[in-house]
Amino acid sequence: MWFKSVYLKTLRDFRIAMLGWGVGMGLLVYVILATYPSLVVTPQARASLVSLAAPFAWLAEPIAVDTAGGFATFKLGFTILLITLWPLLAGSRMLRGEEARGSLDALLSLPRGRSRVALEKLAAMWTTLLGMGLLVGLLTFAGGKSVSADFGLVDALLFGLDLALICGVFGGIALLLSQFTQESGTAAGWTAGLLLVFIVLDMVHRVIPNTEWLSRLSPVYYYNLSKPLVPGYLVQSYGVDPGGMLVLLALCLLLSGAAVWLFARRDVGGTVAAWLRLPERAARPERALPVNAWSLRSVYTRSLGMIAVPACWWTLCIAGFAGWMVVVVKQTEATLATMYAGSPFLKVLITKVGGGDIATNATILSAFFTFLPLLLMAFAVTQANRWSADEEDGRLELVLSTPQSRLRVLLGRFAALTTATVMIGVLTLAATALASAATGLQLDGGNVAAATLSMIPLGLLVAAIGYLLSGWLRTAVDTGLLSFLLVIWFFISFIGPELNLPDATLRLSVFYYYGTPLLHGLPLLDMLGVLAADMVALVLASVRFVRKDIGR
Amino acid sequence: MTAIIEVEGLTKSYGSKRGITNVSFRVEEGEVFGFLGPNGAGKTTTIRLLMALLRADAGTARIAGLDCWQQSVEIKRLTGYLPGELSLDPGLTGGQILEYFGHLRGGVDQAYLKQLIKRFDLDPSRKFRQYSSGNKRKIGLIQAFMHRPRLLILDEPTNGLDPLNQQEFDRMVKEVRDEGRTVFLSSHILTEVELICNRVAIIREGQLVRVGGVAELKDIKHHEVMITFAEAAPAEEFKTLDGVEQVEVLADGYTLRLAVQGGVDAIIKAAAQHSVVTLTSHEPSLEDIFLRYYQGDGQALKEASHVV
Repeated sequence: MWFKSVYLKTLRDFRIAMLGWGVGMGLLVYVILATYPSLVVTPQARASLVSLAAPFAWLAEPIAVDTAGGFATFKLGFTILLITLWPLLAGSRMLRGEEARGSLDALLSLPRGRSRVALEKLAAMWTTLLGMGLLVGLLTFAGGKSVSADFGLVDALLFGLDLALICGVFGGIALLLSQFTQESGTAAGWTAGLLLVFIVLDMVHRVIPNTEWLSRLSPVYYYNLSKPLVPGYLVQSYGVDPGGMLVLLALCLLLSGAAVWLFARRDVGGTVAAWLRLPERAARPERALPVNAWSLRSVYTRSLGMIAVPACWWTLCIAGFAGWMVVVVKQTEATLATMYAGSPFLKVLITKVGGGDIATNATILSAFFTFLPLLLMAFAVTQANRWSADEEDGRLELVLSTPQSRLRVLLGRFAALTTATVMIGVLTLAATALASAATGLQLDGGNVAAATLSMIPLGLLVAAIGYLLSGWLRTAVDTGLLSFLLVIWFFISFIGPELNLPDATLRLSVFYYYGTPLLHGLPLLDMLGVLAADMVALVLASVRFVRKDIGR
Repeated sequence: MTAIIEVEGLTKSYGSKRGITNVSFRVEEGEVFGFLGPNGAGKTTTIRLLMALLRADAGTARIAGLDCWQQSVEIKRLTGYLPGELSLDPGLTGGQILEYFGHLRGGVDQAYLKQLIKRFDLDPSRKFRQYSSGNKRKIGLIQAFMHRPRLLILDEPTNGLDPLNQQEFDRMVKEVRDEGRTVFLSSHILTEVELICNRVAIIREGQLVRVGGVAELKDIKHHEVMITFAEAAPAEEFKTLDGVEQVEVLADGYTLRLAVQGGVDAIIKAAAQHSVVTLTSHEPSLEDIFLRYYQGDGQALKEASHVV
């Protein structure tokens, strides 16, 4: 059944992603809804929740956050980056990835037009997104039922549809950009950059008055116009926004249509630039050798060269986030102080996550800084994925035919990852220190160093586990498991305290051992424990790698 | 002569799927050894075991007296390797790839490297992803030859090469042999092996069925000759000719398909007695030869007694 058409075959390829992301995102909404009752136990707590959300309007619009649906909508506003990850990758790989593998040549040799092939693949992606939306909608409805939320099945399904539409837009952008790039990774990178720009554009109107016209340039703005989970949407100005949804649908059609139109007209394996006859840089064979590039001298330097560009982007993201948080905390100092005084619940919440005295700026900053290791670990997941993919694609075969031991190859690669991770940690420290000095926010230098540098062993742990799992598992499964582990750890540590999970459960998360170094300094023993775990995982990964069959 | 490759009882399976079973052979230093077999016979598995990319379930493989698994790094100092399927970083240029592998091998003679690039007429300034399959193969061959290894292990080396570059490759192999170095190459092209190899091993369904000199191959060499006559095909005249094993008249009634072992001289002479429109001759694939020659297990086992 699955091999009857390009559409069905592509749908088959996407089926695990549909289930994984659909159920994963649905469970995320479910858990958020499940935590809601514990946050509104008393009228004071309810008021505190509303007052807590207001200063974060720049991140997501806080509408009816004291209702289950409003709270879920507000909290999910933070996760647009996560939601759009799959369509971004799928869109960039849909045609370009197959071209890189050479499988598109065979597909296009069939008696089917190019546009038909592309449209069938596109239809499979949209079906997958709708399937994800359906799963998210159903789990949202189930989550709402469990807390007696005042939204129904139709509202939940519309919420899922809105999600599918914004995913479709970013899938379309990635697909369109992949017509201009030789590699799917480049298209994915550019789309991710555009995503960040669009998120910031959407934020602008919530921070600066009379700038809604600017935010309208962002698709994220139209996604956020609809809030189907917010009760009473029929009589108020928010709720489902058909106009917003239609704009998203139009963008999906326009972007994907343009991509298919370009694909039908360019060379397979080439880019639109070549089709437009843009001048290409002339090849100079006589200058090709010797190359004398530093990155070609060893497995370590080559690995460093490979990791350099993604590491720079991640550094920008992580160090930028740290510096920005320092600025935000300083700028909202007065507002936060007023809120602390009038909100006992907020005091408890920030104390739990931030880990200290609510009267200090360092506590709220500490709460934000717990996201730093999460980001660094996400970077480690991408690099563990690359190691596994290189073996799966046969790229290690020739390297291992040179007089380099397997152990040396693995450790060379891991050493490059360690170097990049350390660089990210050090630059994050520098960004935090600079932002602190520039804003005049008083922070303990030792604690800042502990907060930024102690995330390094956490990132390395994820990478080492990824290397270890790649000894048995295929890349997709390895990456999926690592991502799942990260999500589980995240929930244990960030939702766990709100759910009053027992200490033994909290200890299962690696974030537990990171602690709150911005307030309490380096948890030396815990960090030594994480480092020991790093070593064990790396040793086991090495033992496995030197003994295993190198697969193809 | 001393053996540079010694394989004894080598066995490898992939779970329930067959790999190779009890494979044994020796390759003498200074010879060009062909490893023949149809697709999926076990050629690549054997080669990857020699290169320590796979770990044997049983048996031993030694190169220059060193254990292929235990002393793989020392072995790789002596060898140049070309995998059957070449997968390299698509973002690197050919020059960058060659320089990288040169460094990993501890440095190579740049003049010799440039000479190899020139011989294959390769543009090393292009990115790997932009190369045609033939040019990718050239990159693989150059990196295998560039450090003048004592032993070259090449998995289907001429796959994708055009005839001119195949000839250049043949010349390079002969030079290597003349210098006393060894080449172990796998192929499913009989003529290629016949042209450049001293000895061959034939593998089928994971088992070695024959090892011997190239001359011995001739007794399994077949031709398929197609003759189209101007009038009705005289099939009976060809059935009794020397070496003709099978005669078939095609549906048009004018064309004969002959399966021939050995020379075709008698066939040409017989055909010349008639008005011939076209005559084509081609070697069937090794797969066809195996199907015809090793029709039953009993026959294959009988041939296995040829193993030396």
